[in-house]
Amino acid sequence: MTAAAEPLLEVRDLGKRFAGRAGRDAPAWVIQGLSFSVNEGEFLTIIGPSGSGKTTLLNMIAQIDVASSGMVRFQSQPAPIGDPKALNPGLTCKIGYVTQEDNLLPWRTTLQNVLFPLKVQGRLNDETRAHAETLIKAVGLAGFEKHYPHELSGGMRKRASLIRTLVYDPPVILMDEPFGPLDAQTRVQLQEDLLRLWNLGRKTIIFVTHDIGEAIALGDRTLVLSRAPARVAGEHVITIPRPRDIRGIMGHPDFGTLYQSIRAQVQ
Amino acid sequence: MPDRKPVESSDPAELRPEARPGARLEARPELRPDLPQAPRRARFDRALVFVALVAIWIGLATVLGTYWVGSPWGVALRLGSGVWGDLWQALAFVLGPTWSDSAVGGMTRPVNLGLQGQLQGQILVHASYTLFEAVAGFLLGAIPAATLPFLLRRLPIATAVIDPFMVGGYGAPKLALAPLFILWFGIGIASKIALVAITVFFIVYFSALAGVRALDARLVQMAQVAGASERSVARHIVFPGAVPYIFTGLRIAMPYSIGGAVIAELISANRGLGYLIQLGAMNFDTTGVFVALVATTCIVFLGNWSVDTLERWLLRWRPPADTKAEVGS
Repeated sequence: MTAAAEPLLEVRDLGKRFAGRAGRDAPAWVIQGLSFSVNEGEFLTIIGPSGSGKTTLLNMIAQIDVASSGMVRFQSQPAPIGDPKALNPGLTCKIGYVTQEDNLLPWRTTLQNVLFPLKVQGRLNDETRAHAETLIKAVGLAGFEKHYPHELSGGMRKRASLIRTLVYDPPVILMDEPFGPLDAQTRVQLQEDLLRLWNLGRKTIIFVTHDIGEAIALGDRTLVLSRAPARVAGEHVITIPRPRDIRGIMGHPDFGTLYQSIRAQVQ
Repeated sequence: MPDRKPVESSDPAELRPEARPGARLEARPELRPDLPQAPRRARFDRALVFVALVAIWIGLATVLGTYWVGSPWGVALRLGSGVWGDLWQALAFVLGPTWSDSAVGGMTRPVNLGLQGQLQGQILVHASYTLFEAVAGFLLGAIPAATLPFLLRRLPIATAVIDPFMVGGYGAPKLALAPLFILWFGIGIASKIALVAITVFFIVYFSALAGVRALDARLVQMAQVAGASERSVARHIVFPGAVPYIFTGLRIAMPYSIGGAVIAELISANRGLGYLIQLGAMNFDTTGVFVALVATTCIVFLGNWSVDTLERWLLRWRPPADTKAEVGS
């Protein structure tokens, strides 16, 4: 977390409006006047009530959705505003996106799914293949390489979709409640996996969640979004030192204070 | 993560979720116990239904007389001798006079087996004509039909423009085109292939179109973010996603292709199973008609089996829930 002059990603006065149902509703602003920035190597967690446009925000950063107003700048390059045709999804593999659903291709095995980005990017060689196998082992999917997604449990599918993004090493990774639907045990395990992987590579991560504990446990900094139209309602620097022990983090003296002050802002 | 090891055992008990938390799909072990029994049961019941149908057939042949309904024995004998006659000819052709003039060859000669009177002649030859027409027409119709929606995927206006014409083509009775095609392409094989192709085309087109439209936008976005080009998206996302839909169309179109070939032959031909049916009917030879019908049905089974096998192989990634439905059917 260096205090670089230019942040890696800058969002200023961002607005997103969805057209109402034809002729009946006025267009509704989901996000309005949202501003924040992210530094290189930072782990930013974003928390907000459901329906507050968190997914829409990530979609706009990843350029699979277009902003209606304001500005999104990545490495000083502004994203198009209002013109969906000018979008460049994933900004030429610079931004990886782990979506809420695992979005694994049902007709590909675990290994083929993990290798998919490398294949379409034309970067499939012995070295990247070995890297993929290392990642598969690291998240405990060894032995399941030839299984199809329907043969995996929810947690395993999540892991596969996580390393499918890690495998091509994008400098920024967006994560949209990736561990949301999982049971508590699997979830903690995946959080630990994620922190371990992050420690190895120190990527920039923007992690959206609706779980305050998760936001504190993982992040360097937490943004709290308001109800729609979403804007930043609060910002908290997580002072708990790393490496963190996810299972014991609730016992840390700062945890309670942070939890209370974030909860007061999440309405 | 100590509990995650490769699944080595195929014993369903070890794959149960409680024995191995989160290790494998829960549906499988639950499905397993039915699997060995259900097909056996189905096979037995199928045999029972077959016997019942043959019994009804025998009953009809007895009550109405073989003049109106060829008896199963007569049909089986005629079919068997026809097939043997063709095989003998083929052997004689391949192995030459050394075989046909040998003791075994001479003894098994259809004439010497007393089959000559039964011989309708060249049932396999006729069947292979029909099969060829059906397969050629099927491919000629299905391949462009399955390809077209992919080409039109990025052209919504063109799709909308041709849509009413496609609906019209789908709804029009293609068999009514048979006389026209015979006029255009002659009484040979070409008119039959054309009729089969046009019948198959519309069925497969609409199922492939449904497949392209059922595309999951989230998978496309995932692929684009991962750096997939438009071509990669078409090849790795759109196409595999549409394959199950295409197969639904192929499955429906397959019997139509054989039916189309036979009916075109009925109208005008000098070979094929449709010709045999027509010939039998003109000679008041119901047994001959039945022989051709049974042969046609055999070809339908063969076609179904081929489509099934290809589908099972191409769609091996699908969850086993589908197998369960199949077992139940």
